[in-house]
Amino acid sequence: MSQPNVSNPDDAKLLPPLDLSKWRKLPGQLMAIGGLVVLVGLIVSWRQPEEHSLKAFGYSWLLAFMFYLSLGLGGMFLVLVHHLFDAGWSVATRRFCEHLASLLFPWLAVLFVPVALLAPKLFGWMTVADPKADHALYAKLPLFTVVGFYVISAGCFGLWWLLANRLKYWSLRQDETGEALCTFKMRMHSCWGIWVFAFTLTLAAIMWMKGLQHQWFSTMYGVYYFAGSVWLTLATVYIITMVLDRQRILSQVLHEHQFYFLGTLLFAFTVFWAYVTFSQYFIIWNANIPEETFWYVIREQGSWFYIGMVIIFGHFFLPFLSLLRIDVKHTFPVMVPLCLWAWAMHFVDLSFNILPVYYDHGFPFHILWLPLGCLAFMGGLLAKVFLKEFAGAPPFPRKDPRLVEAMGLYHPVPTQISGGELDQADDMPDATIQPKGNQ
Amino acid sequence: MDTSAKPFGLLAEFDNTTDVLHAAEKVRDAGFRKWDVYMPFPIHGMDRAMGLKNSKVGWFAFLGGLTGYATGMVMIWWMNAIDYPILIGGKPMFSPYGAFPPSYELTILFGAFGSLFGMLFLNRLPRLHHPLLKHKRFALATHDKFFVVIETADPKYSETETRKLLEAAGSTRIEMVVE
Repeated sequence: MSQPNVSNPDDAKLLPPLDLSKWRKLPGQLMAIGGLVVLVGLIVSWRQPEEHSLKAFGYSWLLAFMFYLSLGLGGMFLVLVHHLFDAGWSVATRRFCEHLASLLFPWLAVLFVPVALLAPKLFGWMTVADPKADHALYAKLPLFTVVGFYVISAGCFGLWWLLANRLKYWSLRQDETGEALCTFKMRMHSCWGIWVFAFTLTLAAIMWMKGLQHQWFSTMYGVYYFAGSVWLTLATVYIITMVLDRQRILSQVLHEHQFYFLGTLLFAFTVFWAYVTFSQYFIIWNANIPEETFWYVIREQGSWFYIGMVIIFGHFFLPFLSLLRIDVKHTFPVMVPLCLWAWAMHFVDLSFNILPVYYDHGFPFHILWLPLGCLAFMGGLLAKVFLKEFAGAPPFPRKDPRLVEAMGLYHPVPTQISGGELDQADDMPDATIQPKGNQ
Repeated sequence: MDTSAKPFGLLAEFDNTTDVLHAAEKVRDAGFRKWDVYMPFPIHGMDRAMGLKNSKVGWFAFLGGLTGYATGMVMIWWMNAIDYPILIGGKPMFSPYGAFPPSYELTILFGAFGSLFGMLFLNRLPRLHHPLLKHKRFALATHDKFFVVIETADPKYSETETRKLLEAAGSTRIEMVVE
């Protein structure tokens, strides 16, 4: 069939499998190099004078941690919405999203330990002598107490563990038994899960990121972190799906629409993120109250102003304008660089939120190696965990009742019940006479 | 039938989706331009079988949106900073942040206008009458028959050849429709 005008996504499936042997060592290398950098950073920042001691390390680690937390939470969100919407197309990509979600516990919880230990250095409010004298802090009691901080943190990880564990348990069990019960169970867990997800994500974003400047408040902050997280995750899921398709692991269960759907979701979250980010800025700008505007004033000092511009144009305009066209969403040469760009932009976005607290004169280019080292170390570790989990389970839910929809093999058949005003054709010469129900 | 009436095109009837899909592929490969397929429900793969490109409506929506955004920004700038400046709360006379929400809404409004009127323009709608509508059997396109119509205005059209093509494609009934 010659189809010169229609781009054929099936062509991608004809490409030979990628040679991944060179990449196999990458997680280990990242861990080794990153670990070394983290160690050097730890020592260097330890030897600083008392008031700066360990702060450079702490903020870098927190930045890298929040970055990967985005992936875990984003993966969990995609699994939850899959079940809540009773979706068919996303069955094929669900399994590795479950693996992403189960990074939350224990591994991201382990990576949170340095944040927990360094919390009194990172979160200024923890060392305020008299909370009653600081109204911004007093109003946030008992949430913003040392006990509150650790209870909330432990509670978040506990609930994430429970949710990720249950969703994965029933999903893996369905691989063996094929029971419909598993689908109902996963749906049930998603129902309470989405609420818990929303509350815990918001609490985590407030306690671990917004709490860095406790005087500030924004009701959008949780949503803001959520939007960026899912955006990053969709870009990651796109790349993983593409690689698994190319390696013939998912080819049998994908049809041409999945990449388009993932691209469309990425586009939607680009707009959603921009909407939330702009709303937060606009409302604060419009109200013009010093208690709120100080947060943005700090972020306009020195090179932070240009970082803000990079975010506006790089996090929104570039992906937005690139993804506008329909065919781009399954054009790999455009989508792959864009998805990698999304990683860079999410990192810049989180830097813009976290680093100005300590580096208030401009972006700390001189110490950029430290957050990048933390990023490499955690990335290597989590990639190792992810690959191990991926290898330990079937690559997709192989007995999911909706798998056939993901494969694009099932189409609803039009029936006399589903459509057609049969009466209008009664007087046609060759129309079938339909018996009328109540006559 | 009024013999003086101008012929509009050949109406070929098909009984099932497979036949009409393959017929569409044949008509597409034969290089016809002015033709269409009518069916009671969407058939998966028909766009490709007909060789249809993506709709151009998106460009009208895009241009509409762009016009809307520019209109909003320029309007607010001109009214608040040039024509009748009022200082409010020490804020600048014009700021893109303050002007953004109305401009954004105009983007959506004009974008919607662009897609609606662009669609009507590309469809040549509204029109009061279409020759196919007075053909009695054509009503079955909303029931259980599938139709391929090739217009006589098509440069490749020839009374005998086109009829042969449609017959070879498996049409159960071919009729000439007049205007």
